[in-house]
Amino acid sequence: MRRKWMVAAAAAAFVAMGLPVWAHHAFAAEFDASKPLKLQGKVTKWELVNPHSWIHLDVKDADGKVTEWMVEGGSPNSLFRLGFTKESLPPGTEIVVEGYAAKDGSPRAVGASLTFTDGKKLFLSSSAANGSAPGGEEK
Amino acid sequence: MRGSVLVVTAATLAAFPALSQTPLAAAKVQAANKAWTVPRTPDGRPDLQGVWTNTTITPLERPPELAGKAYFTPQEAAEYEKKTVATQTGDRRDGGPEADVARSYNEFWRDRGTKVVPDLRTSLIVDPPDGRVPALTPEAQKRVAETAAMMRAHATDGPEYRNLWERCLTRGLPMLPGPYNNDFQIVQAPGYVVILHEMIHDARIIPLDGRPHVPQSVRQWMGDGRGHWEGDTLVVETTNFSEKTNFRGANAGMHLVERFTRVGPEEIRYEFAVDDPTTFTKPWKAEIPMTKAEGQIFEYACHEGNYALADILRGARAAEANQGSK
Repeated sequence: MRRKWMVAAAAAAFVAMGLPVWAHHAFAAEFDASKPLKLQGKVTKWELVNPHSWIHLDVKDADGKVTEWMVEGGSPNSLFRLGFTKESLPPGTEIVVEGYAAKDGSPRAVGASLTFTDGKKLFLSSSAANGSAPGGEEK
Repeated sequence: MRGSVLVVTAATLAAFPALSQTPLAAAKVQAANKAWTVPRTPDGRPDLQGVWTNTTITPLERPPELAGKAYFTPQEAAEYEKKTVATQTGDRRDGGPEADVARSYNEFWRDRGTKVVPDLRTSLIVDPPDGRVPALTPEAQKRVAETAAMMRAHATDGPEYRNLWERCLTRGLPMLPGPYNNDFQIVQAPGYVVILHEMIHDARIIPLDGRPHVPQSVRQWMGDGRGHWEGDTLVVETTNFSEKTNFRGANAGMHLVERFTRVGPEEIRYEFAVDDPTTFTKPWKAEIPMTKAEGQIFEYACHEGNYALADILRGARAAEANQGSK
């Protein structure tokens, strides 16, 4: 029993050691670097939850078959503080996702890049956001 | 207005010789804050209340390439900021698929910040003077190495082998900025200070009445905190950390002293001192400004939205099954 706590502590250390969060291998455990993908579809739902937000989109394949994909993002809290709301990504919005598929074969992906169909990035990062309206449109 | 700030700066430098040894940026910050009086709560104590963020790109430890350099010049700081923001961003797509997966998602989700601390120090650690965490004791080195090896061997065996953030448990103490959710709310009530950590909805309720700590046998994720005022500085001493926690190698033996001083309308100076002779060869201290945050704390309900943990374990099981079938 004691050993298990030591392990939990080591796991905590991995984050607390000041390593950037992307170094803790969670994404490598969840997603498959050998399965890159590009999805285009209509947003059906945006789960604004912690620890990760999930964008649901309906993706139609060449045969017209629709699959519901879930795309993992970050915590919604920072976005709220930047002024974005749930209305910033309404259902029906068409987006393009470049990322990697889940290891277990389910229709889940991590979105390394999220854009609108015209290529404009969703929710410009705070450093780039000066003067830009939420949603990535330029004013 | 500008003239009076310059006069104050010059007067401050003249009146406090030690300040003339700190860089001009630090002196400017202090001078700007000099003209302001701290608001007080009804019991006459400084008012620390509000929502605060400690986001900064200044690292905890001084990078090796900056050894011996305690402060940036303004020019160097600007260059460091530019370089760090460009290097750290999750929007980079270079380095191949493994790097891409590790960076996970776009940078807009994160709150890493774009600025170093206002006084341009090159590390958050202020003591020891080299800006680095002191060496671990031999006992701690062994402990850390053993648990790291065990974690590598069992990394995806089950939830207890994942880190505390992934498990939605706690971000622990001390209050250090991470890549997101660096927000805290302070509330003062007669006899208590409450510090709410947005991540992961931890509320520390700190009594100020001088009562003793809980017994040694009681161990907690956020330890057991006791507060008192030293002049206009709130001092919080925390002990009784659970051995399930970990801060840079320290767990149950950690003795943490935090100091909160409201130094300006938009700023609290937060200092922490870590003392754990079972882990570190000497105590060490850091200082991080907390600035007024825009907006509010949002509930960081975590466990119920935690698809990722199950996905990590499922992914590992799928990878094992694929290997088995080869």
